Formats: sequence, structure tokens, C-alpha cells
Amino acid sequence: MIEDLIKYITTNIKHRFTRSFLTILSILIGIMAIFVLISFGEGLRNYMEVMGEEMGTDKLMVMPKGMELPGSGGVYLTKDDLDFIKKQRGVSEATAMILKQSEVRIDKRKLGKWVFIAGMPTDPSERRFVEEAFAGYGIFKGRALKKGDKNKAVLGYNYMVADKVFSKPLNLGDNIFINGKSFDIVGFYEEIGNPQDDSNVYLTNDAMKELFDVGDEYGYIYIRADKGVVPTELADKLKEKLRNKKGQKEGQEDFYIMSFEQLMETFSTVLLVLNSILVIIAGISVLVAAVNIMNTMYTAVLERTKEIGIMKAIGAKNSTILFMFFFESGMLGLIGGGIGMLLGYGLAKLGAVIIAFTGYSFLKPYFPWWLIVGCLVFSFMVGAASGFFPARAASRLKPVDALRYE
Amino acid sequence: MLKDYSRFAIDGIKNRKLRSWLTMIGIIIGITAVVSLIGIGQGLKVAISSQFGDIGTDKLTVMASGGMGPPGTGVVNPLTKDNVKKIGDVNDVKVAAGRLARSIKIEYNDNVKFGMAASIAEGNGRKLIESALNLEAEKGRLLRDGDTKKIVLGSNLGSENAGFEKQIYVGSKVLVQDERFEVVGILKKTGSFAVDSLVFIQEDDLRKMLGISDDEYDIIVAQVHPNADIKAVQENIEKVMRKERGVKKGEEDFTVQTPQAILAQVNSTLFAVQLFVYIIAVISIVVGGIGIMNTMFTSVLERTKEIGIMKSIGAKNSTIFTLFFIESGMIGSVGGIIGAVMGVSIAKGLAFIGSMLLGSELIRADISIWLVIGSVVGSFLLGSIFGIIPAIRASRLNPVEALRHTK
Repeated sequence: MIEDLIKYITTNIKHRFTRSFLTILSILIGIMAIFVLISFGEGLRNYMEVMGEEMGTDKLMVMPKGMELPGSGGVYLTKDDLDFIKKQRGVSEATAMILKQSEVRIDKRKLGKWVFIAGMPTDPSERRFVEEAFAGYGIFKGRALKKGDKNKAVLGYNYMVADKVFSKPLNLGDNIFINGKSFDIVGFYEEIGNPQDDSNVYLTNDAMKELFDVGDEYGYIYIRADKGVVPTELADKLKEKLRNKKGQKEGQEDFYIMSFEQLMETFSTVLLVLNSILVIIAGISVLVAAVNIMNTMYTAVLERTKEIGIMKAIGAKNSTILFMFFFESGMLGLIGGGIGMLLGYGLAKLGAVIIAFTGYSFLKPYFPWWLIVGCLVFSFMVGAASGFFPARAASRLKPVDALRYE
Repeated sequence: MLKDYSRFAIDGIKNRKLRSWLTMIGIIIGITAVVSLIGIGQGLKVAISSQFGDIGTDKLTVMASGGMGPPGTGVVNPLTKDNVKKIGDVNDVKVAAGRLARSIKIEYNDNVKFGMAASIAEGNGRKLIESALNLEAEKGRLLRDGDTKKIVLGSNLGSENAGFEKQIYVGSKVLVQDERFEVVGILKKTGSFAVDSLVFIQEDDLRKMLGISDDEYDIIVAQVHPNADIKAVQENIEKVMRKERGVKKGEEDFTVQTPQAILAQVNSTLFAVQLFVYIIAVISIVVGGIGIMNTMFTSVLERTKEIGIMKSIGAKNSTIFTLFFIESGMIGSVGGIIGAVMGVSIAKGLAFIGSMLLGSELIRADISIWLVIGSVVGSFLLGSIFGIIPAIRASRLNPVEALRHTK
């Protein structure tokens, strides 16, 4: 039965080749677009999850309020705040980071590039803690900063690559100049995958204080929660304690405190909402394709009126005719979806190469099995749903009228 | 002649009502989506542009270059008082003034907020800054020479829902960075969100409060004489500044920008985002076009016999082509007109709902007559283009075989 049906459908699709081809083409385009967009959205979600694991879900971060860019105004976190946080229950360890924007030169007299300069603690365990907070990236080449490294710097990955930050790649032992002061390069970090973080310059906290003439004004404080303490709950508790210590009222804190989990959630929610908007817009084309399928099926019913009449005359039930056309339009959708997905796969891979070229190598498409199955089921459903009315019209034809149809 | 062609097309469309409608619905959906998205996108763009419209076309801004972020962030080599004076001396510069813009903490009625403070210069520079930012007092007055511990607030801060649970009035005392200031004026709305949320403060007060050195500025604003060539003045200022700061051409550690240049920068980023959305939206129009092509192929097939008759009584290939070409163009343009009308209403409707929900005037649809005309003409072209191949096929039919054709 099913075999006959499939044979019947393939004959019909072949018979009206141009029409079937155009109908399939129209659904293919939309499914391709949706497939590409969702695969990038999933890739992003995946990246976030992996990064969250590497950063560790036991961490919290404190940031000053005001301008959301560190170092731009009168609001800072202080050494006092750091010491206070270290003493709190549930806090396993805490460390702070000074962050400034500055110009880095490789030739003292030539203009350089504006990047973020980050101060690193020199105590090895504290330093490792900050590195972990930066998604667990370790030293790629050379060594990390240690106590007394006043004139030493560790650079982000992009400095090793020509034309990323500077036209010529830098090496261990080369010099860079910040604010006219020279620093030896002693190490490079692994690639993080976004152009900002990979262009960071790391100095010791002491060197930062001297270079930028700042005291203990921190841009960030990182906290690790004790084992068994829920970071989100700790965030609330610390918020209250720090607020009281600073004599601020609820809702008027001059700082944010968030667990990394919350931070990642906020960030990924925004991106995923944007992604869904694009998917919805792409979905409009599937809607148009559905109308096209409906149109094709109505035409098919019209053309095959006599055929339907004959089938009914020799005993075909209404439900058989309904199912036949219903299935045929579903097949149109399914074929379009299948081809669309294959093309979408290629397009997503190509897109990833182009995106990686611009420095955002973290943005990769990801193809979970449910996306592939989902796309196939969805395209079949779209086809079948758009074929419903034509199929019903076909099934309700009166055999006598249909036979007489010219 | 053309009348006959049109009648043929209209009859063709009418006789196949269901199919024509479905084909048109495809185009309608596509055009509706594109018109409404472009309308809303344009509206956003206009709204964002208006945020930059506060600078005036006769003014130049000079900034020390930094990375991203607000002015003054991490600038190693800030602008100086001397720079202001030298720029003021450049030919055709009427007056130049230095500004500071820093983030600060504001407290009123035990509520704390964080925002930006902008300095107002003493003397001649005051007028320039006021006109550059379009500052006018709604209530009270602007700052004067000799004021100390007085501030003027942007309209957002002086409004009922500024977030202090109590409205700030002229005469209210406000804590800025924990120091008491008297509010002497509340500004008229300028339309720029950034300016409307600023705290204006005497330059000396701001320096003392944040410990900024006497010599440092974040931004220099220069007003150019009305008839001067602004580009030439820009180049002259760049020359003077290069000399002042001892840098070579091409290695400037500062930027001199016309308001248009700043706007162009923002627009280009916005444009990239818009383009991406439009491309995705246009896919649905293409799919609609494929629908037209399909319908036209079917229509040629159905009328094969008809075509054979026309040809046998002397219709030229070109006549047959034109007949089908006009029919598909008509499907496209009727779909386009309906789509444009629906797109306009949806864009207006969404913008209305959006502005109600978010209480912001920023969300509105901006639909130019060209968008409407363009979408109708575009859909006519779309219909015609996708109708070309079916029309060619119709025109090339062999009359003898066409006459013999049965369904």
C-alpha cells in the first residue's frame, strides 16, 4: 500500500518536474536559512556551556556600578572591599584585578594600538584563580608573571599572529611600550577566541599601580565560593554585607555582584533572543513556501480530477484520496527540507570560516541531532499542513462529476 | 492594444481565482514583512541619529584618541588647556572650549543613581557649550560665571520618574559624589538621551570633586565662522594639534571630527545590522517570486491550446510573450500594493505598541514614500522577472503541436 503510494507520488512529482522543482526550491530556501541560524545559535549556547564549566560555576564577580566600563569614573572597588570580602563566610578565596585602557606601542616613536591592560596578582594560586576566571586559559608560550616582574608583560594570543594587533608578530624577549615605559615580553596566553580578550596585555598589579598612578582601585573582584555553597545565594548574602559595610541602602549599591552563572545567563539570553528574532524573520519565507505548496497541490488536484474520479469509481475511499494528496504534499516539504539542510550545512561551515577569519573563532555552528530531525519533521509537517485543504477538496469530489471533468 | 493585453491578463487571473490569490498571498506576505521591517529599522535609525543631532553643523569636536568607551577613558595623553587656546587661535575658529565628561554618583531622597557629569566652562566657552549641546532652561536658569556648588540637570533627571522616588525641583539639594549641590535649573528636553541624562556642573567644581588636574580636558569643542569651509578648518586644527603634541601626520593620537563624521560612523554599524535583517527578510520575497514562476508555468500549460489558436490566426511570438509577461507583472504588482499597505499598517501598529510598552519615543516607524513606491515597483519587477521564463516558453510553442495539445 505505502509502496504503491510512494510510486504514485514519485511519478507525479517527476511528471510535473518544473512545478515540483520550483515548489521544493521555495521551501528549501527557508529551511536552509533557519537551519543556518539555529546552528549558529546552538553553537553559541554550546560555547557558553563549555566556557561556564571551564570558568567554574563556583565563582562570583564584583564590579563597580556607574559606567559599565571599568576605569572611567569615580567609582572603584578598593583594597578595603577586597579584604572585607575575603573575611566573609562562604568565601574560599578572592582576588582583584586592575583594568585600564591604554595604548601599546612596539616602536617608542610610532603610534600603537589601544587595548585593555590587565593587572594580575603575582601570588601563583591567586593568579591561577584569575586565569580560571578567564575561562581557564593558560600560558601558551613562555611563563606567567611572578613577584617582582615589574618590567615584564604577558600578552594575549593575537600578538603572536601577524596583522591581528600589530603587522609584525611579537616574540618572547621583544619589548613593548606603554605610557613610554618599556616592558619585556615573557609569555603569551592561549587563544580565547574573541579579538578583545586575545589582545589584552597583562602586567603585575604593582606595575599597573605605578604605570597608571593608581592606588588600590580595582575594576573587578573575583570570588570563589566554598564547596557546598551555592554561588547565587552567596552573591545575595555578600551583596547585603558589602552594602552594610559601605553604608548603602538596598537598591543603591555602587557595585554589582553576580555569580558567573548569572553573568553567562544574562549574556547568552540577549544573544539567543536576537537569534530567535532572526529565525522568526526567516520563518516568514517558510510561510510563503507553504502557500506555494498549497497552490501546487490545488493545481495537482485540478489536473488529476478525472484520475480521482476513476479511482473513486473503482472503489477508492475518501480517506484514501485524502491521505494520498496529504502524503504527496508532505513529501514535497520533506524533500525540500532535506536538500535545504544539506545546503545549510555547507553554508554554515563556510560562514564559520569567514567569521573565524574576522577573529571571532568562538562563534562556530553546532548541529545537534534534534536540529536535523527537527528540520526534517518540521518541513514534512509544513508540506502536509499546506496540503490539507487541497487534499480535502480532492477527497470530497463527486466521482460522477470528476469523471465527466474535461 | 495594451488594453487587450491587460484584459487577457485580468481574465487569466480571474479565471484562476484561487491560484492567483494564493500566488499573490505569497508576495503579499513577503512585501509586508520587508516593508514593515524597513519601516521600523528606518525609524530606529532616525531616532539614533537624533541622538547625535545635538552638535550643530558649524562645530568640530576634538578628542584624544582612546579605545572604546566614553571620552577620557584611559587616555594617556589628555587634551590640555593650551590645546584649547591654540585651537581657538586657528583661522576661522570663532571660539573653542574644553569640556570634561565623567561618571559620577548622584544621591537624592536617599536614592543613589550613577550617571555622567559634564563640565561647563567659564566665560566665552559657556555660550559655545550651551549652544553645542542645545541647552535651554525649562525651569530655573543655566549656570553662570561665579556659581559654585550649583548644578543644572538634564530633563530626564528633573522628571517625575527619574528614579529618586521624589521629583527634583529647582532649589533642591542633591548629593554629587557625596558633596551637596543646589539645583539651579532643569533643562528643556533636547531629544538626545545622553544629554538629557547629564548633570551639568561648573568646571572648577568637577575638577575639585574628582581630583582632575587643572590642565586636562576630555573634549574640545570649536565653533567655526559661519561662512568658513569646515573641512579646511578641520585640517588646520589637525595641523596645529600635530605640532602641539609632537606627532607626525598619520600617527595622530587625537581625532578632529565633524558632527557628520561621528554620525556616519554610527550609521555604518547600524547599516550592517539592518542589511543582515533585510537579506533574511528578502528571502521570503524570492520565495514568493518562485511561486509566481510556478503559477505562470501552470498557466502556460493550461492555455497551450489557446496559445496554439492565437498563433494559428497570426499572433507573433512577441505578442504571446507580452501577454504572459504582463500577467505575471500584474500578479506581482497587485500583491505588492496590498503588501505595502499591510506592511505600513503593521509597522505603525508595532511601533505604537512598542512605544506604549516601553514608554519611549525612540520606537517609531519611519516610512518614506520611496519605500512604498519602491516596494510596489519592486514587486512588479519581481513578478515580471520570474514571469520571463514561462513567457518565453509560451512564446516558443509550436502552433501545430499546441493546437493538438489536450489536458
